Amino acid sequence: MTLRRHLTSWLFLSPLLVVLIPFFVLPFIVVLTASFFDSDGFGGLLPTFTLVNYANLFTSSLTLNLYLATLKFTVLTWFFSLILGFLVAYFLAFHVRNPLLGIGLFLLCTVPFWTSNIIRMISWIPLLGKEGLINMALLKLGLIHEPLEILLFSSVAVVIAYVHQLTIFMIVPIFNSMARIDKRVVEAALDAGASRLDIMRLIVIPMSKSGIALGSIFVVSIVMGDFFVVKVMSGGGSASVVGAFYEDISVLQYPSAAASAVVLTVALMVLIGLILRTVDIRREITR
Amino acid sequence: MATGQGHIELAGLCKSYDGVTMAVDGVNLKIEDGAYCCFLGPSGCGKTTILRMIAGHEDPSAGEILIGGENVVGMAPVERRTAMMFQSYALFPHLTVRDNIAFALRVRGLSKAERNKAADAMIEKVRLTEFADRLPAQLSGGQQQRVALARAAITQPRVLLLDEPLSALDEQLRVQMRQELLRMQRDLGITFIHVTHTQMEAIALADMVVVMDRGHIKQAGPAREVYATPRDRYVAEFLGGQNVLAAKVRTVAGGRAVVASPTVREIEVPLAGRSFSAGDAIEFAVRRDDIVLKRPGPDAVAPDTAALSSRVTGVEYQGSFVKVMLDALGREDFIAYVPERTFFRDPVAIGDVVLATWPVEHAHLLA
Amino acid sequence: MTMAKEALGPAAAARRRSRSRQGALAPGRKGRPWTFYVLAAIFTLYVVALYGPMISIYILSFQDIRGGLVFPMKGLSLHWFNDLFTQVRTGDVKGSFDRSIKLAGLVTVITVVVSFLAGLAFRRRFFGDTVIFYLMIGSLVAPGLVLGIGTGLLFNWLGLETAWYTSALGAQLSWTLPFGVLVMFAVMSRFNKAWEEAARDLGATPWQTIRLVIIPILAPGLVAVALFGFTLSYDEFARTLQTSGSLNTLPLEIWSMTLNVTSPSLYALGTVTTIVSFLIIGIGLGSITLIQKRRARGGAAGH
Repeated sequence: MTLRRHLTSWLFLSPLLVVLIPFFVLPFIVVLTASFFDSDGFGGLLPTFTLVNYANLFTSSLTLNLYLATLKFTVLTWFFSLILGFLVAYFLAFHVRNPLLGIGLFLLCTVPFWTSNIIRMISWIPLLGKEGLINMALLKLGLIHEPLEILLFSSVAVVIAYVHQLTIFMIVPIFNSMARIDKRVVEAALDAGASRLDIMRLIVIPMSKSGIALGSIFVVSIVMGDFFVVKVMSGGGSASVVGAFYEDISVLQYPSAAASAVVLTVALMVLIGLILRTVDIRREITR
Repeated sequence: MATGQGHIELAGLCKSYDGVTMAVDGVNLKIEDGAYCCFLGPSGCGKTTILRMIAGHEDPSAGEILIGGENVVGMAPVERRTAMMFQSYALFPHLTVRDNIAFALRVRGLSKAERNKAADAMIEKVRLTEFADRLPAQLSGGQQQRVALARAAITQPRVLLLDEPLSALDEQLRVQMRQELLRMQRDLGITFIHVTHTQMEAIALADMVVVMDRGHIKQAGPAREVYATPRDRYVAEFLGGQNVLAAKVRTVAGGRAVVASPTVREIEVPLAGRSFSAGDAIEFAVRRDDIVLKRPGPDAVAPDTAALSSRVTGVEYQGSFVKVMLDALGREDFIAYVPERTFFRDPVAIGDVVLATWPVEHAHLLA
Repeated sequence: MTMAKEALGPAAAARRRSRSRQGALAPGRKGRPWTFYVLAAIFTLYVVALYGPMISIYILSFQDIRGGLVFPMKGLSLHWFNDLFTQVRTGDVKGSFDRSIKLAGLVTVITVVVSFLAGLAFRRRFFGDTVIFYLMIGSLVAPGLVLGIGTGLLFNWLGLETAWYTSALGAQLSWTLPFGVLVMFAVMSRFNKAWEEAARDLGATPWQTIRLVIIPILAPGLVAVALFGFTLSYDEFARTLQTSGSLNTLPLEIWSMTLNVTSPSLYALGTVTTIVSFLIIGIGLGSITLIQKRRARGGAAGH
């Protein structure tokens, strides 16, 4: 009887597997395989077994720079989106007293998520550009005399675009955890003489841990896997691991691109694995 | 063997979820057709598991369940012709009262007209006609309970299984709905099995009370029998209303034993035909409402009366009676229920020394 | 309001749970503390920054023919919308738009059905459930471009043509399905198992239980999954880039435009896609409201 139960579960899951195996497992195996192949220099693959792609990858100083650049964007984006997302979620969960208003404000934050990311990124151009609104305003105010070039097509622009896109991924899970905090716990702490800082440090942050972890997973994996924002918003000035991967692909350097992709994916999985160790997200979601 | 449709027999029934601990451990029981049977026990005693096994929502690890003389283990709930009323009712939130009640007919393929006719008749029976088009969320707790009852009854089951049916209601409504349940049972004329952890509910409703503890039946019998003559300390304490005393036999004579303990001086206890010898440990119960409090004095204790000298440690006014707490047993409770008028003829106060007395024949020997 | 509650799933549920004690919001029982004003200011700035840039490009898309990519507006016109759909220079906007809608529709249907079934399976533990769960998480977080290229290569090695309705469909599903199942988890966590048992008790077959009890009760949650499926597919870029074959989807079209086109038609395209997104959100939230309304109306008749 229990066997039948397991089989039923697997039957219900089979459609999921029918998608995930050919479109996640197999493609990854393909990339992994290609990373051990040799290139014939004309875009063809020579089915041999060689570690030369990995050797090139690990000996090239370019690799290190790429990873450092990607890591820089990941850490900056993660940091700013966490701070901003946490504050916004905290405001919604603890300071908005009218629940209807709370839901309204929450929706207000989530609506842009349903619209195109690319468009949202492009929309910074008329604001941050050399003749953009911000420069114009600063010039008019006399705060600057020359337009700031650093606003658009720079690392600053990349981070702004990322934070703009991804803070929502922090707000939703953190808000979810915070909404579950029994407000009476906070009251009890106040009655016991806890300061606002104590409450934040001893109650709110520990109890929002799962939301923070979930949000971090989304933000880290999206930034590390992205190349589009870096390419457009840095104006070609910055590179990223996936960006370089894409360049390799466009010049048909499949094996070296594949090796880089494998290393990136493994690094990403390790990072996500570390985050997952701090929280049982399956239990958190189904709770 | 002539067994009624709703006659139930549990034979060697066992259930273990993990293969180690037994949730239900070898239960044997016969429930008469048309009886109102209450399973009573604390949470985790296995009573709900038994109910769910009878309903067919759990399979027993061992043993048989016979309904109307037929072993139903392995059958689907419909085939058993049982119906269950779930704890907090499990009414379908998206269906109106009528559609909830007609659900069983809908899945049997009856036409809309047919099932609405049957459902409306049932709705009238539970007096919900004006609420037929409402959703469960728009009903009060008592109304929801009647919908749940009607939904279960429309399948014309031979057994209705009720899992804590009154626990979602407030105190006053609970007492009202007890009558509703009894009326419904008489109307339907079928076996009701009702699971509860509330003693008052069980003895008020049941023809047969089954007291359970850790997967075992401790005592099964008519409500009065279980309340007035509990078999052992567990049953006596769980049903309440009893003082339980433990002591050692000093002497035996004329069907009575003289017993004593460190806290109790010599007291006579009727042995109800059982034989003991000096030195045996026994436990017996004395009903709280059998205790008569007397001021100490030369003629305070009549013949054939047992008496304990004690100090009053607490007094609680209960309306129709007064609950007087005594230190007769040291740290264990010893309580007297004194009728209200009797108490106020000569009220005792905390610290007073009194004699707690009872007719020797009213002491009940426990297993 | 009810629609919002359902659409937000667990967040709203939690909020609803806490509603009964809203009076107990602790720091600030007597008046607002200073932190309230600071946080309110941060929140306002966030919302302004969230919407400001988008609104500015919607405005700029109505730029006059003489106008450029930045303010000021040189006049109002629909020139760039016209340009968008006529100029060869901007590529096949209409065709890619068409494909994106069709693809998103396909992805939505498949995502709802498959996530629903997986959600049913994941309600209890079974042999291998953790493996599948982490497989899903892996598929969710893996770099999309890498998977897309892997899929492209796989098709190549198998001698299959990549196309938006085969390889791109699968590649997008490998991203929308884990998302959908996670949303389903949250939706399912509010489903009382006793409803299912009650249905069984009353004689419903497993299929009747799903059709008459589980699906109707979970309907708002399923619409939310659909909304996710549609918008995630409609905006998907990285996984589609190498798998869509010779014909572009809309995000790919926008991508090539960002590299080539330096006129406000880019903004016009942004405005058009956003209108479509809002239509979809409207349909999604609207249908959730409708479900709730119909239920409420069913109840109102008895008053």
